[in-house]
Amino acid sequence: MTSAQLEIQLIASLVAIACAIPGTFLVLRKMALISDAISHSILPGLVIGFFITHDLGSPLLIIMAALSGVVTVVLVEFIQKTKLVKEDTAIGLVFPAMFSIGVILISKNANDIHLDTDVVLLGELAFAPFDRFLLDGMDLGPKSLWTIGVILIITLSLLFAFFKELKISTFDAGLATALGFSPAVLHYGLMSVASVTTVGAFDAVGAILVVALMIAPAATAYLLTDNLKKMLLLSVFFGVFSAISGYWLAHWLDASISGSMTTILGMVFLLVYLFAPKRGLISVLYRNKQQQIEVSLLTFLLHLNNHTEKNERHINHLNEHINWQKVRSKSVVDLALRNNMITIDKDIISLTEKGKNFTDKAIDYIITNDDSKIESIKEDFFLFRG
Amino acid sequence: MKQQKFAVTVDDLTVAYNYKPVLWDIDLAIPEGVMMAIVGPNGAGKSTLIKAILGIIDPIAGSVSIYGKPYKKQRKLVGYVPQKGSVDWDFPTTALDVVLMGTYGSLGWIKRPGKKEKKTALESLEKVGMLSFKDRQISQLSGGQQQRVFLARALAQDAAIYFMDEPFQGVDATTEIAIINILKELRKEGKTVVVVHHDLQTVPEYFDWVTFLNVKKIATGPVKEIFNDDNLTKTYGINYKVSVQK
Repeated sequence: MTSAQLEIQLIASLVAIACAIPGTFLVLRKMALISDAISHSILPGLVIGFFITHDLGSPLLIIMAALSGVVTVVLVEFIQKTKLVKEDTAIGLVFPAMFSIGVILISKNANDIHLDTDVVLLGELAFAPFDRFLLDGMDLGPKSLWTIGVILIITLSLLFAFFKELKISTFDAGLATALGFSPAVLHYGLMSVASVTTVGAFDAVGAILVVALMIAPAATAYLLTDNLKKMLLLSVFFGVFSAISGYWLAHWLDASISGSMTTILGMVFLLVYLFAPKRGLISVLYRNKQQQIEVSLLTFLLHLNNHTEKNERHINHLNEHINWQKVRSKSVVDLALRNNMITIDKDIISLTEKGKNFTDKAIDYIITNDDSKIESIKEDFFLFRG
Repeated sequence: MKQQKFAVTVDDLTVAYNYKPVLWDIDLAIPEGVMMAIVGPNGAGKSTLIKAILGIIDPIAGSVSIYGKPYKKQRKLVGYVPQKGSVDWDFPTTALDVVLMGTYGSLGWIKRPGKKEKKTALESLEKVGMLSFKDRQISQLSGGQQQRVFLARALAQDAAIYFMDEPFQGVDATTEIAIINILKELRKEGKTVVVVHHDLQTVPEYFDWVTFLNVKKIATGPVKEIFNDDNLTKTYGINYKVSVQK
């Protein structure tokens, strides 16, 4: 591996981490679309910053760009507050307007510089190692590594300092206000971080893909955990994983790095979406299927409970009487036998003590919805897990 | 009962959404140590009144004081149970963690909850009978359990005045009784409890003080004196009959 390759992967990983952190909170706040808006509307800020400094590496560009990101959020909220249009419409109105101002400014005045529309949209990670940070002639590494490094350190410090505040204002803005943690301050803080991060990631992955880096890792992590800290860590992990494997995919395909990174992000999400243990699609379908069988089981046990007469409990009678297909009857009877809930003696089915107990508890739960007594059977049956 | 000292005083409070008043010139004094129901029809501004007292909504006129000082200086004296529907229960967190949020107010900015706060949170969970659910993800709790977690969170605030926005909404009879017993316990400790309440039948049984609200304040005072058909009719606008056990 050459040092340029290493540098690219390092930059991509830092970008992924810096994006995953605000991204997690955006997803939890149901504001994923805002990241799209921010990523497009920082363009006029970048361009104006460039006109002032005539230096693409100036920190003023980042500040101006972040500012226009925050302006976008303010405008969206202002339009939405009038109640004349809904939030998603407001977002759809504001960011194209901001973006087009940027595009016009570039095409009018900056035709001859590196700030062209392709780079803005897609970024170019492969060129990042060529732009060095030189101090007194000493090579301190690629400039974008420094930019995203500083942004990441700021983001991490803010996250550690205000984790509790971010959590409460995201979960319950009303209580946060009552306790004196102004949700507005935290909201704009988060928006500023998201804007600054977008600017930092811009160089590397461009305006469109930065959205994927913010949203996809968080959305993937959300399917896997019930814990905010773990969700943050998983988001970071998925981000870095996709950044590095995306780089090698691009290397192998000889294609765009940012495109490959996003492809990996999408594939990772798809895998988790399908196979996540609790919230994955397959697990949900399996659970539904199991619940269906368990409802049948309960119906069956209840029938046994209600009838002492032998003819009602004959195994063939059950087939006809409960009106199920053979397969279903068999799987229900098997399930009941496996759990020692019934005994079969000369084709006559009887409830065992355990089966009777179970039926009583289950019926009681279904009628009262009070789940304090069914803790013991929750583990074995999906039906009672709420 | 000593009734001279007021826990909460509301003066000329007016709140408007988009220039349409939802609360109109409210004067209200809540004596210390009462258990008060706020009743009124939908859209009467009951939740709004609580939110305005807690500074969650800015009024366009009027002022609120908690033991004689503005709310902002008295935050630590006030506990709050919002409506259950006001939060996203799919949020990745546990019951214990939600209750821990009740201690954030006394911690202030940046400082993190430590052992002391965790102990408070565990004790609060125990009080509402939810200790065994402490590590359960909150979406895995039933509606009644979620409401208990919210109550535990308010208990963890260790306040002198509690505001609760429809704590009985969507809970079964057992949970309702459990909650009301905890509230009565709070009152015994000399705390003031203010509850937005919907079930008029249970007002005389649960509360000793009541405020009738319908955009304007209709009446406020002891349940025994003012909880009558006259005030109910004025508040609900229809000829309301409720059997009051005196």
